[in-house]
Formats: sequence, C-alpha cells, structure tokens
Amino acid sequence: MATCIHVGESDALHARARAFVTAFERGAPMPESFDALASDLARFQGKHVSGYARLAAARGVDLASVRRAIDAPAVPTDAFKLARVSAFPEEQTKVTFRTSGTTVGQRGEHHFRTTATYDCGAVAFAKAVLLAELQAPLPVLVVGPSPAEMPDSSLTHMIELFVRTFGLPATAAQTYFVQGEVIDLAAFDERVARLLAEGREGALVLGTSFAFVHLLDALGEDTFRLPSGSRVMQTGGFKGRSREVDSDVLRRDIARAFDLDEADVRSEYGMTELSSQFYDLPTPAGRVYVEPPWARVVPVDPETLAPVAAGDVGIARIEDLANVDSAFAIVTADRVRRVEGGFQLLGRLPGAAPRGCSIAIDELLA
Amino acid sequence: MNELRRILDVARGVAAAPALVPKLVASTGLSEQGVRLALAEHLELDATDAELEALHAAVTPASRVHVILSANVFVGALRALVLARAASSRVTVRPSRREPVFATALVEALGDPAFTLSDEEPDEGELHVYGRDETIAAIRARTSLVVRAHGAGMGVAYVPAAADLRVTADRVAADVVPFDQRGCLSPRIVFVEGEPEAFATALAEALAARELLVPRGALTPAERAELARWADSVAFAGSLRRGAAWAVAVAGPSALPPPGRHVLVTRWAGARTLEPIARHLVAVGAPTLDAARVVAPPHARISLLGEMQKPRLDGPVDRRYLAVQHA
Repeated sequence: MATCIHVGESDALHARARAFVTAFERGAPMPESFDALASDLARFQGKHVSGYARLAAARGVDLASVRRAIDAPAVPTDAFKLARVSAFPEEQTKVTFRTSGTTVGQRGEHHFRTTATYDCGAVAFAKAVLLAELQAPLPVLVVGPSPAEMPDSSLTHMIELFVRTFGLPATAAQTYFVQGEVIDLAAFDERVARLLAEGREGALVLGTSFAFVHLLDALGEDTFRLPSGSRVMQTGGFKGRSREVDSDVLRRDIARAFDLDEADVRSEYGMTELSSQFYDLPTPAGRVYVEPPWARVVPVDPETLAPVAAGDVGIARIEDLANVDSAFAIVTADRVRRVEGGFQLLGRLPGAAPRGCSIAIDELLA
Repeated sequence: MNELRRILDVARGVAAAPALVPKLVASTGLSEQGVRLALAEHLELDATDAELEALHAAVTPASRVHVILSANVFVGALRALVLARAASSRVTVRPSRREPVFATALVEALGDPAFTLSDEEPDEGELHVYGRDETIAAIRARTSLVVRAHGAGMGVAYVPAAADLRVTADRVAADVVPFDQRGCLSPRIVFVEGEPEAFATALAEALAARELLVPRGALTPAERAELARWADSVAFAGSLRRGAAWAVAVAGPSALPPPGRHVLVTRWAGARTLEPIARHLVAVGAPTLDAARVVAPPHARISLLGEMQKPRLDGPVDRRYLAVQHA
C-alpha cells in the first residue's frame, strides 16, 4: 500500500514536470513556477531518498520549509557513484544509466522507474533547439556507439530516442557507424552518397566528440560533404579515447570537414545524472548553452555552494525538474558562467594542487 | 656511511634554528604547532647504522644524481638528500617551488661540495623525482637519464575486530595529524572489521582532541572546494562527523577524502578489499605488525598505528620504487 501511494506521488510529480514540456511545445505559459515544483520535488526526495534527507540535515536545511529551488541542497555527482540515488526500491528499476568507469572509482548510476519524462523532455527540447527549422523525419546518422554496444549509457539512450523519433526508417547498419570504437567510414560514405544521390536535404549527424576526432583524423584535409541543410550534434568528452581537442576547434573542424556552417554544428551538454539536456547556439556574444524551461544552470561557489555574482564563474549547480525520482538538484565540477540567454561551459574545476605526496583524488581516479 | 651520518647531524642543527619555523609555517600552510610537531617527531634523525646500511643497499650508485623535489612533505627532503648522497658524491637539488625552505636550508647548511642547489638537469647520471605521476611522466618524456620515481601515494589503517576502539582511534589520529595528512604515509582510509560507526565516533573524538594541541593549518580555496564536495557526497552516501578542522565519514571504500585531516572509515570486506587501491598504497598501519602484514600488499611499509609517520631511515619511504627497481 505504501509503495502504491509512493508511486502515485511520483507519478503526480512526473505529470507536473511533463506539463512544463507540453506548455513549452505549445508555446504556452508554464503551468506553475519552477520553484513550486522544485520545492515539492525537494520534499518528495527528502522523504524517499534517504541520502537526500541526510544531506539536507548535514547542511542544516529543513526541506519542509523550502520555497525556492536554490534553497534545497544539491547532490554532488560523486554521490551517484557512492550510493543509490533513487526514490524507489531496486525492484522497480526499469533502466539504469551508468557513467564511464575508471580504474578505482565506481561508475555512477542513475536509476529510472520510468523514462517517460526524460524522453518527452529530450525530444521536445531537441526538436526546438537542435533541429529547429529542420523537418523530421529526416536521415539520422550516428557517429558513436549504438545502444547494443553501450546499453547502459544515457547518451546512447538519448541518441536512439532521437533516431526513433526524428529518423527516416533505416536499418541499424545505415544508422550507426561506430563499432568497437572503430568508425566504418566506408559505410558512412555510402550512406551519405546515397542521400546525396536521392537529393535528400537536411540530415542529422549525432556523435561523440572522440568519435568525431577519429573521423577527422581519418579524413585529414579532405572534405566530406553532407546533404545541404544538415546539422551535426557533438557531445561528450574524450576520456582518453582520442586526442583532446578544444570544443571550438572541434566545431570548426567538423564544420570544415562536412562543408557546413559552424552554426549548424551544435554541442550538447548532458550527463548521466540528469534527465535534461542543454544545447549551445551561436549568439552575438558567442556560443551560449540554452536551457529548457524545466531545467536551469546556476553557477555556485565551489566551497560555499552559494550562487556567485552575476557574470562570475562558478561550478554548475543544475536544477532539473525532470529528475523526479533521483535528485532534482545536482552539483558538478564543471565551471560555468551565466551570460545573456544562457550559460557558457568553461571546463572542469581543477583539483587542488598537492602540498605533499599524498595522492590527489583526481590522480587516484585517473 | 659517515657522509650520511653528517647529513643527519646537520639536519638536527637546521631543525633547531628558531628562524626556520615561521618560514615553514608560511611555505607549508601548517600551523606553527604542526611545523614544530613535524620537526620534533617526524624528522628522521636517529637512524641506526644498520638502517643506514640498509638505505645504502637500497640505492643504485650513479655518477651524478639530480634530486627534483616537486611535491612531498617538507621533512622528506632529508631522506631524499640522504638517498641521493648514498648513490653519488655529486648531487644537485631542485627544491619544490611551493616549499623550498627546508631543502634549501639543509643544502646550504651542509656546506658540502657534494651538494649544489640547481634548477638545471644534468646530462649524465640519474634523476630522483619526488612528485605526482604526471610530473614524473613529463620528466621521463623529456629526459634520456634514468628516472628514480617517488610518486604520490597514501596510507591506510586496518582495525581488526578485537582492537580497543578508543586506543586505536587515538593512534590513527596521531598518524593523521602530522603534516595535516598531506604525506604519502598518512592514512586516508581506515578499514574496520565489523561495525564502522563506533570507530568513526571514537576517531572523531580523537581528532577533535588533537586539534586542540596541534591545530590544522589553513586549507587553500581549492582544498576547501574539494572538502565541500566530498563532505556532501559522504553525507549523502553514509554518515559524516565534522569539526572545524577535521572530518570523519563512514561510507563505501570509493569515497576517498581529500587530504587535510579527513578520514574515511569503511568496513573491511576481506582480502580483496585493498585490491583497487593497492598500487597507490605506500603504508599500512595496524594495532600489531602481524595484523598489518596480513592485509598489506608486499610493497607497502607496515607499521604500528601511531607510528605510520615515523618510518625508519632505511631506504625510500615509497617501497613501490624498490619493487620496480628490483623486479
């Protein structure tokens, strides 16, 4: 009985989160304030995620009195590696996404009882910002691993969702071009050639940064023209799987290699611990990541976790109303700055310089 | 052997110089009491002849040795110089940029033509490098000389079920406090057989008591940021006891705390518990040497709790170095 009530409570919160998505799709006003739903999520998670109640107590926060999202404590992404961050019991888990592993550290896990809210938010925001004026269905090509290769990756889940939602009918072989970290350039070439021969316009190429680096290395100075009106989404880091490339340089090189305008190469910022994504868009002030109305990024001081002054750099506290059954507020080690229209991503916060020979955390996890 | 003994004698004089303490407080970030504790109890001046012979046997003779002190606790410079001198009669020393005081004072006080302060790497002989893995890798990449690496590492403590909690906790605290836990012998994790919460409470009390005697020095903003992140993570994942200058968490073994008198207490889960971190382990302490011997990987120094930060001057602190050299 208690579980039924609990699921009902969760379902109601999911419905409220999805109402944000529906309103966004319709261009309608949001159904309620961000803070109202965030405060209720904080209380729900305090009641059903034991670690969150402990965190709130440790930070001296009475969740019952929280009225603004920013007043609720944020869960460090490291906690997803150390404990189950979930408002429901293990047996109700439908899917678990995992972070990439390290030699010592455990992989972070994000459990879902339902991906319905994740999916509808991801599709709606990608349709509006990533596709924008492109009309689906359209050819979708993936320069990255398939769900079969990485079934526990939130990224492959999202990409598969986009393939299924936005893509023209195609086989897996016509869609996924990376297997075992090897790019099948010939198959990619063949698919693109066929699209060009068919006079298709506007393909969507989705891929991971490291896979694009390998592809660029394979292409050298050659250009690999995509159908006109195509768009590329690149995401993720490198994590030792390719040489590291500055994101601006990578975007420029992808645009050159595919004969696209740089504006048509968009970066996605997401993570296993979230249910929502952010995309960078060209603006007069440079590339800016934009947020959906159900998620926001707040730069906070890395020590006090209080918001920094407007325009200052802080680490990203991310409030995601679609994270109903885990942690609606997380804090990362990514440095960000608010700018007009969104935020800029400025790389990882470096670890503390060692003042002795005791091993640093980042060195242990390398 | 006399030349090694002389280094110890000179170091004793350097350590006794009153002017040194404020300089070390400024350069190390330790409190004044922390510097005095390190000089009084953790500078390895009382080596026996047998220990110095063992140290001598542990080094490889070289035409020349250049010592690069990138990151170690300040008293570590003494052992580094003794090791270098045991290997060669021509030693150049590059002190750490962040903490040059003790190494510089020692080399200058030696007044020995065998030792020279120098930033320049020689084109012959060997490099003895003390620093992070990435520093060592960068030096290896740019030099053709033999590099004897002394990398970063850590210590752990093991508390068997039969141990007296209060006594054992006080001894662990005695190992955590020196150098504010920044040494590679400092225990960062305590593995407890049985229930870890009671030990965590005892350790928190012991650290609080020692804080009154030897206050912790200041943390840098980056260290405070790491602490904030770790503290929230372990508060979520387990339990956290926290004072103004110490913290004790109970959580899974992955929740490694940042240095600065922050300890993870976690359950001992059998012989495989240490495997994920074994290659980083420099020291294992336990209430008895037999207990330490049972759990420690072969390369780790073993010692009684309360003695982890007092390694005998019988070779490199980091015996992973020897394991590699003699492999």
